Amino acid sequence: MNLSGILVMSKPESHGQVVEALNALEGVEVHQVDAATGRIVAVQEAEDIHAEIEGVKRIKAIPHVIMAEMVYHYLAEDERIYEAMPPELIEQQDGFETCAVPAYLNS
Amino acid sequence: MGLSRRDFLKTSVAGATAATVGMPLSEQAEAAVKAGEAGWQWDKGVCRFCGTGCGIMIATKAGRIVATKGDPDAPVNKGLNCVKGYFNGKINYGKDRLTQPLLRMTDGKFDKKGKFVPVSWEQALDVMEEKMRWAMKEKGPHGLSIFGSGQYTIHEGYTAAKLMKAGFRSNNLDPNARHCMASAVVGFMQTFGIDEPQGNYDDIEHTDTAVLWGANMAEMHPILWSRITDRRLTHAKMKVVNLSVYGNMSSDIADLEIIFSPSGDLAIQNYIAREIVKRDAIDHDYVKKYTQFATGPYDIGYGFRPKNADKFHTAAEMEIVKNEQSHVIDKWEAIGQRKKEGDVVEQKNAATPMKDWAISFEDFKTAVEPYTLDFTAAVAKGDPDEPMDAFKAKLQQLADLYCEKGRKIVSYWTMGFNQHQRGSWVNEQAYMNHLLTGRQCKPGDGAFSLTGQPSACGTAREVGTFAHRLPADMVVMNPKHRAIAEKIWKLPAGTINPQMGSHFVKIMRDLEDGQILFSWTQVNNPWQNTANVNHWIKAAREMNNFIVVADAYPGVSCKVADLILPAAMINEKWGAYGNAERRTQVWRQQILPPGQARADIWMMLELSKRFKLKDVWGAQKIPGLDGGLPDVLPAAQAMGYTPESTLYDVLFATAENKKHKWPDPIAKGHGNHVADLLKDGWFPEKALFEEYRQFGSGHGHDLAPFDIYHHDKVRGLRWPVIEKDGKWVETLWRNNEKYDSYVAKGSGFDFYGNNGAALVMGDLDKPGDPAKKVDISHKAKIYFRPYASPVEKPDANYDLWLCTGRVLEHWHSGTMTRRVPELHRAVPNAVCWISQKDADAKGLKRNDLVWVESRRGKVKVRLETGGRNRMPRGMVYVPWFDEGVLINKVTLDATCPLSKETDYKKCAVKVYKA
Repeated sequence: MNLSGILVMSKPESHGQVVEALNALEGVEVHQVDAATGRIVAVQEAEDIHAEIEGVKRIKAIPHVIMAEMVYHYLAEDERIYEAMPPELIEQQDGFETCAVPAYLNS
Repeated sequence: MGLSRRDFLKTSVAGATAATVGMPLSEQAEAAVKAGEAGWQWDKGVCRFCGTGCGIMIATKAGRIVATKGDPDAPVNKGLNCVKGYFNGKINYGKDRLTQPLLRMTDGKFDKKGKFVPVSWEQALDVMEEKMRWAMKEKGPHGLSIFGSGQYTIHEGYTAAKLMKAGFRSNNLDPNARHCMASAVVGFMQTFGIDEPQGNYDDIEHTDTAVLWGANMAEMHPILWSRITDRRLTHAKMKVVNLSVYGNMSSDIADLEIIFSPSGDLAIQNYIAREIVKRDAIDHDYVKKYTQFATGPYDIGYGFRPKNADKFHTAAEMEIVKNEQSHVIDKWEAIGQRKKEGDVVEQKNAATPMKDWAISFEDFKTAVEPYTLDFTAAVAKGDPDEPMDAFKAKLQQLADLYCEKGRKIVSYWTMGFNQHQRGSWVNEQAYMNHLLTGRQCKPGDGAFSLTGQPSACGTAREVGTFAHRLPADMVVMNPKHRAIAEKIWKLPAGTINPQMGSHFVKIMRDLEDGQILFSWTQVNNPWQNTANVNHWIKAAREMNNFIVVADAYPGVSCKVADLILPAAMINEKWGAYGNAERRTQVWRQQILPPGQARADIWMMLELSKRFKLKDVWGAQKIPGLDGGLPDVLPAAQAMGYTPESTLYDVLFATAENKKHKWPDPIAKGHGNHVADLLKDGWFPEKALFEEYRQFGSGHGHDLAPFDIYHHDKVRGLRWPVIEKDGKWVETLWRNNEKYDSYVAKGSGFDFYGNNGAALVMGDLDKPGDPAKKVDISHKAKIYFRPYASPVEKPDANYDLWLCTGRVLEHWHSGTMTRRVPELHRAVPNAVCWISQKDADAKGLKRNDLVWVESRRGKVKVRLETGGRNRMPRGMVYVPWFDEGVLINKVTLDATCPLSKETDYKKCAVKVYKA
């Protein structure tokens, strides 16, 4: 699971439309809106970051969106990756003494 | 409330995002952020990737990075991140991090043909020492080399420069920034006598026009692009022009997209200059007071091997390489250079391309006269399917912008200009048009060279990790500069080698012909990033030499190495970078490097303990230097050193440097694995920074003290940083009296970099009487530089242009970004972009596996006809991040003869089904 905090800007007059369009996108929730400045904070959930990057492009393509950039990234899957590390790398984390030479180097 | 873990996280992410961009938080959100971040320690940092220099906040918990966010207080990015910056926290955690030294061995001994086997650091340093001694015995200081980096921290670059130049007395230290910035440096040095942009990113919020010359900012500098986009949408007068050799993402909001032919930019710049002159859009007062017209030779070659090239190149390669000796003028050059088509021009100035002399304004006008709209459009139109009239109309609109009185303009460029066989010239042409119209060094007005690497400016350029440079724009060839460096470094006079070392491509050529026997790669991937790489892979694997590569991940360069050293990455060490707007930014060590990985600085300091003055400071032979280097040992003894003193004690752990103690309260509890491993109580990064600072203080390159940059409230400072009333004040626009304290009040503008310089007066073809010199103190030069055709052009056999470059998701050779699973999945492999019409004509379709082949080599790659790049007929584009599609086997190693920077943007290829 990937969670990203995205800042979206629209012209104040198109605000309602943009918020509606954002909420209609799968995996996207609008959490905060600052009507005076046209700023919207959306949170996007995506299965992988390919989907996440595509998701931001999707947001940028919404009519009346001036700008959409990712601001905050929660490294939610890190622990999972860490746990899934191959045993020889976990060993290194502990003792650092032995390590398989990446097969790539001797190929 | 029964929030699920996921809902809770989302609230927390939203709150943190809102806080980052300065939006008020609801109580609930505030509480969620606090709870979500319990036990995290946040600290300021800098993005590892491009030269924009965004501020990143990093959170650590229990020795690991747990979150990153754009730094809301960073003026560069104001809390935003691009997709690469967003993943800074993940690049340290790839599964195949190198964690111990690896040496090619057979039966327990080093063997160049052996397999990689883990060894201890002691063994690794032993074999390095042995091989360095062997290289020096065979070849003297020239036998050694380091491939450095624009991604070095300032401290690392400084350590490498001092170790090589003061210790080993070898100038064979050259960074990958040679491949990316060198043409910009020559442009600055020749025009202004001082390196780096006068303006800064605030220009964006002041300007009316952004003109992009070969810079796809939307993909390569997304955060600056978001600032330009914002300006475009909020400032009615704002125009954006995208000049490129193919359509790209930056065209999406451009008012004007101009697709030009390779090297057509040289003609377009002169066309604009001609229009400025014809329409009298010149700022006469500015030009008269602050500039001098100049030019230089045209017969400067293409940066190939100067002699014996046929010993190393195939007959097919020689068809192009022979132009280094003589070149046949084509029909465009005949007009642009006032010559005859078919003339054979001996390249007499191939060894002296930097020569220049003053010319009159009348001569300048004569020189730009041939660059009419008809000529320029004919030579520069890049899309064969665009009607000529439409292209001409666009050129006119572009000239209109430059000629419009009162319009502010910033011109931006990166690799399109710099990686160019006439890259230094085209940089200088940008200044030509800005200086002619008085648009330089003013808020919103300036030609601005962007950088690709995070410390191409801060380290490669300012520290001077180039084969010719010393810190603060000084050069080894200048005896006064050497004397200044010898004084600060406390070296005997005559220690520093006065002969320019080998530049990046020449180090490769020296490995190929056996002149360099030892090479050490730091923070860089030379066997992926150097053009015509088949030669260099062979040189590394088949010649009798020793190749050391320090890296965090196994890339192509590791694969061709003899010894691999596991390197610490950003946030695993203390560091500092300098971005493209002269902003020096710092970070603390946040986490420990994994396994036995160590900072490059530690590797160099440990190695320096193994060499004594008697090993390096005696008389030395240098190829091409009469008399070689003097024996400075007696003078060294007079200074209190002994022949048994180590380079560590003389250059690094000096009494002065040891006054900077570790631990230091500035660390605020953060560690320093380098100081801890050295165990002798000093703080190397701080001590070396304070020593380095002495080079720039008082003459335009001033930096603040180490601790100032580490202050909680400071987000980098743009040099020169001057102490005023106890405060350290940065400089926003240099050379402008309103902003730059080096400019005398009342003078308006002052290009003080050229103070004391003079040029011989001449005409367009040659310098005149050497006795008649023009003083150019306080002035910038306006160069006339002519159109010159690319040395290799498509023909019947190799019928397409090849342009190479980057993609948004990947950083350079992908050794870091391909380890972030998400980035890797986003763009897993390089593709070859081609126009639909070319694909159709060749009977190819999207996703076909094809060969891209040149006179030098070929690679297999999938074809792409859609997506983010829109190729004109006749050109293909292949990014270079993918080692599985090693496109540099195909590219041409022609360089700008002035800057020695390779042109990766134009060579001839054919594409056919694999």
